[in-house]
Amino acid sequence: MAHIDCSFYSPSLRKNAHLIVYIPTTSADDYLMEVKTDYFEKDKRFPVLYLLHGSYGDCTDWHRFTGIERYAQEKEIAVVMPSAENSSYTNMEHGEAYLTYITEELPEFLNKIFPFSRKREDTFIAGLSMGGYGAFRCALEKTELYGKAASLSGALDQSKLADMPHGRKMPKSYVGAVGFQHDSDNNLLNLLEKRVCEKRELPKLYMTCGTEDPLFEAGESFYRKARELAVPVAYETHPGVHDWNFWDRYIKDVLCWL
Amino acid sequence: MAFFQVNFFSPTLCFNTDINVFIPTPNSDEILNNKKSDYLYNGAKFQVLYLLHGAYGDYTDWMRLTSIEKYAQEHKLAVVMPSASNSFYQDMQKGSAYLTYLTEELPQFVNKLFPISKKRENTFVAGLSMGGYGAVKLAMEKPEQYVACASLSGAVDLCMVRDQIASGEIGGPFRWDDIFGNAETIEGTDADLFALIEKRQKENASLPKIFMSCGTEDFIYPVNQRAKSRLEKMGVDLTYEEYPGIHDWDYWDLHIQDVMNWLPLQNNSVKEEM
Repeated sequence: MAHIDCSFYSPSLRKNAHLIVYIPTTSADDYLMEVKTDYFEKDKRFPVLYLLHGSYGDCTDWHRFTGIERYAQEKEIAVVMPSAENSSYTNMEHGEAYLTYITEELPEFLNKIFPFSRKREDTFIAGLSMGGYGAFRCALEKTELYGKAASLSGALDQSKLADMPHGRKMPKSYVGAVGFQHDSDNNLLNLLEKRVCEKRELPKLYMTCGTEDPLFEAGESFYRKARELAVPVAYETHPGVHDWNFWDRYIKDVLCWL
Repeated sequence: MAFFQVNFFSPTLCFNTDINVFIPTPNSDEILNNKKSDYLYNGAKFQVLYLLHGAYGDYTDWMRLTSIEKYAQEHKLAVVMPSASNSFYQDMQKGSAYLTYLTEELPQFVNKLFPISKKRENTFVAGLSMGGYGAVKLAMEKPEQYVACASLSGAVDLCMVRDQIASGEIGGPFRWDDIFGNAETIEGTDADLFALIEKRQKENASLPKIFMSCGTEDFIYPVNQRAKSRLEKMGVDLTYEEYPGIHDWDYWDLHIQDVMNWLPLQNNSVKEEM
């Protein structure tokens, strides 16, 4: 894997953006074991997973706290890890346009720079907690861009969060800045229903959550809504809490599902 | 400019290595000041400058100690900055194969990952001091890959530099015998740029043109003066400049801009078949 730390000016955020990208290249293992790799073939294009951090985090989280580089190397998939502050990956009412950045500017920009496949079936998005919400928010925003989306311990029903320690610790200014009104597209249950009514072809959805996770009910609520709307969702639960042990373990299941 | 810090396993070096890469992308200055910003499009490729550090340095030097990003942005030039330790840009006899890494693996790697032109006419190499030697060395090693090379305050006469270091006239961190086997016998080998260029001339190779610049108060100025007269006698396409200055980043920050003005730059992205 090439580990690429990127910084560039983002017109949609109107500031410099920072992200980490992994691209499969010959590893020391490949070299030692004389594995034949085709990374540098002329028309080689890599499938790509956009991988989103949670609240309080940034683009360095996944590579600092998990083995994502190793897992992605095995699957020969490129990984893009952007930063989105505590925006919940929305176009904030009082803040930057992260939804536009992640779903429009970033794919267009990176496709000009890196050898990524542009096919829907090779484009994936996943994340944890706020990033699990973000993965579904983005996937349901640009249904034509992503083949699959996965949420790990996702804050999928924001109405369930208000009273949680997690929610209470978040600076009020941020909660107010995002804009989660019940009837807006930022309410995933609403947005899902809207997309079903529009008869859009939805990305395939995958959810997983620890049964001891305080966000468990937020996931269940989204899942019930999906069943009500007859949207198929691959849903798995495992013993576990809201921590990196869970995400490091179960991001592997996500990669197997992709 | 988009700035990329890349860490990857190099099968040639047999360890992880770092490069810094700049790719021209529209920045706030271009947008605020209504400057040209239409050069990044699907399929756009960029002319590329491989930029080499000096002895004691690494891939971070050029961006830390000069304004290379600003100059490259003006010219819409991609810049690739690798590390080569104190290898004198050689395949070391006892050590790593930096020359092979830089002339074979690295171009293939960055051409795959980044929107960089693969054409000779769009590929340049420059460096300072040990990297000035390295720039000419790389270009003459693979004259079919580079159209131009530039040396700033370069250690272009390897034998003379070796002798000056041996006599204590100047300093250097080089483990000569690890690099060259026996440093006493480099004269006339491919490590001796004059011999290498002469060899390429005899092969009727189309040679990259050379730019050399050196400060007149630089300890390496006599090396450059002598190299100038030798190269001119050999009929090499050489542009030679000298200015008041010593062996320091003030000189390189200023005169890398001369290099960019001398290079055959389009000041734009280039269209190229994938």
